[in-house]
Amino acid sequence: MATDRTANVTWNGDLMSGGGRIDTVTSGAFGSLDVDWRARSEDGQTRTSPEELIAAAHAACLSMALSNGLGQAGHAPEELKTSATVTFQPGEGITKIALQVTGKVPGMSEDDFRQAAETAKENCPVSKALASVPEISLDARLQS
Amino acid sequence: MPRVQRSADVTWEGNVARGSGAITGSTGTFADLPYSLASRIEKADGKTSPEELLAAAHAACFAMGLAGELAGAGSPVEHLDVRATVTLDQVEDGSHRIVASELLARARVKEIDAETLQRLAASASAGCPFTKLIEASATVTVNATLEGDTDGD
Repeated sequence: MATDRTANVTWNGDLMSGGGRIDTVTSGAFGSLDVDWRARSEDGQTRTSPEELIAAAHAACLSMALSNGLGQAGHAPEELKTSATVTFQPGEGITKIALQVTGKVPGMSEDDFRQAAETAKENCPVSKALASVPEISLDARLQS
Repeated sequence: MPRVQRSADVTWEGNVARGSGAITGSTGTFADLPYSLASRIEKADGKTSPEELLAAAHAACFAMGLAGELAGAGSPVEHLDVRATVTLDQVEDGSHRIVASELLARARVKEIDAETLQRLAASASAGCPFTKLIEASATVTVNATLEGDTDGD
């Protein structure tokens, strides 16, 4: 069954001096969030950007796919901590996504965990949708 | 221009079917957003999902792009409403795939006709970095209308 998720954005003014807002999303779980070009293209911002939302989507997707793979292997995780960092080069696009995951997984070896994380990275729907990003790196380790 | 990095963190507990996660963006503008398998592929029930976050990213990216295109064409936008809908579907091998992102725009802008607006919208989508990426698995469609123009409603 297909699942739709919608987001509504309002924008006023031109690109450089104007600004926008993510008003509502299907779930109502977040919003409204302000967005503008400065927040997107300069460091040290306190507003969100498409790239931060993509980072959130990818980290969430990897976590879910990995919990699925680990569960199927008989090692459902107690906890996974995942971060995604999206690198945006204005004028060029998204050039890199760096994924990091740390797992608390009873009875699993570091190698098996790394392999499971690699499989999750290859197969999660967000990874498939972002397959043309030039570099997607993964650092997976067990919590020591 | 210098490159820019944006991060987000997720904590997940338990297996995929009954576990759940929480999503936090590094800017602090959203934090501890809950999500689960059920909220992703069934009813949202107040929880977000990766696809909802992508819809928000795509709508925001496209809105910015279209504002830029309109300004470049000498018709700066007064007000723009954009909606992005991302579809996750089960494909033949049983896995889930992001198959579509539909962009809808309604613009309040002077001295432009519907045809030019649609052309600029298509160009804004093509120029949006996220459109290029998501086309690896999804079909992106773009429809733009002028505010007050009831065609297509």
